Amino acid sequence: MFIVILLTVWQLVVSLGDYSELILPNLRSIWDALIESIASGEMGDHTAYSFYLIGQALGIGVVLAFILTALAMVSPMIADFMKTITTIFHPLPGVALLPIALLWFGIGEKSIIFILVHSIIWPLILNTYTGFRSVSRTQLEVGRNIGLKGLKLVSSVMVPSAFPNILTGFKIAWSNSWRSLVAAEMIFGASGGQGGLGWLIYQKRFFLETPYVFAALFVIIIIGILVENVFFAQIERLTVQRWGMVARKEE
Amino acid sequence: MAEKVNVKNLFVKFDGEQGDFQALEDISFSVKQSEFLTILGPSGCGKSTLIRAIAGFQTPNKGDIVLDGKNVSKPGPDRIMVFQEFDQLFPWRTVMGNITYALKISGMSKEKRQQQAIQYLEMVNLQDFTHAFPHQLSGGMKQRAAIARSLALNPEILLMDEPFGSLDAQTRSILQSELVRIWQKVGSTIIFITHNIQEAILLGDRVMVMSTAPGQIKEIVAVDIERPRLPETPEFMKLWHRLYSLLETKRFGENDDKNMLPDSD
Repeated sequence: MFIVILLTVWQLVVSLGDYSELILPNLRSIWDALIESIASGEMGDHTAYSFYLIGQALGIGVVLAFILTALAMVSPMIADFMKTITTIFHPLPGVALLPIALLWFGIGEKSIIFILVHSIIWPLILNTYTGFRSVSRTQLEVGRNIGLKGLKLVSSVMVPSAFPNILTGFKIAWSNSWRSLVAAEMIFGASGGQGGLGWLIYQKRFFLETPYVFAALFVIIIIGILVENVFFAQIERLTVQRWGMVARKEE
Repeated sequence: MAEKVNVKNLFVKFDGEQGDFQALEDISFSVKQSEFLTILGPSGCGKSTLIRAIAGFQTPNKGDIVLDGKNVSKPGPDRIMVFQEFDQLFPWRTVMGNITYALKISGMSKEKRQQQAIQYLEMVNLQDFTHAFPHQLSGGMKQRAAIARSLALNPEILLMDEPFGSLDAQTRSILQSELVRIWQKVGSTIIFITHNIQEAILLGDRVMVMSTAPGQIKEIVAVDIERPRLPETPEFMKLWHRLYSLLETKRFGENDDKNMLPDSD
């Protein structure tokens, strides 16, 4: 139980160091802040808002990514073009686009979603495309042989066959966008009195309610762990691992 | 017996980087109902191209493939292919699911699918592995499952492209005799590709020998040996040597004047 050791060390440092509550609050007050903000609904509202933003961005991102991937599958020229674009934009951290988002969309939800979509589509396109490209020729021919055609062939053979790669794409898309979200919210703040977890941290720091800052960080970590180590891990267990499949690399 | 498949003057050409390559040149032969035809040839003789053309995966440049009096050009469930590759089962479906899914596409009712799948899985001795996923099976078991799936679809003709080519010798010989047993029971029409002379004789009613570059039919030899066939018998050995020399003349006879070995593949 490393977590217990970690918490003990924290508490020791706080008690021995005699820091101000404003710099390094003790566990008790962080816990109280967490409970209090959950009870008051504050934490829930902000978390919900963060999820609302990321959900919207995921929706837009997935649709865009699949349209672009489909186009790339149809035409080799578009595929080359997509590859170049993806190579250029994929390494670009979403937050780096903040100034441009500001210029284009102003302060508010739209800018954040713009940044999130950016951090979602490139890894998704990259992995989905690789997955589709490396679908086994034999399996495709078996599909055609038993009478599958067109979209049915895509949904019944290509998508499941590319699923390990698609899942990898979603995992990267999620972790990219979750990180970008918190950062973007801090810089953009809230619009119309609403804000996500990033905004909550920013606000609480502003009012010097440091225990709440740590409580919000704690929630962000927990959500990250839940999504990556529980949600995605569970999907992986039920699909890819059960099927004995692995994500394929670009040939 | 009635002719099941008729291949007439088939030509297939590939546009390679070093010019065109005539994979198949003027191939004509026919297979009778319930006949087991093995096609024997060295690698690169176009035998895979031929079976892929019959399956509809390879469009010929010229010629016709006639199945039951009708021209065929696209893949269809009337000609089911068993591949050499072990990944021909869908890894995201169980052994059972692979078969029932194929039957579902063919439009069979749900209870019938289950029944049919179990029946054919029993036939290939996989009844204990119905709910296993393909990655849990050995290579030989995967090929059995693929054969069961193909047979369950009850195709007009079964096309087998070296299905035992990647198996170890023992598994291979077990599957060979099982295939003969099943074929005798079901009475399907089979075209079976191999580059193994013994396999060609063990399985086929007739052996069609092909030669390389361009891929042509060298000779079609009837196998008049009682089943079950044993490789140690004199008549088997005699036929083996005959087929061997048919393959050999290609390699060292016709290429001798160029004083070089043929390109592998």
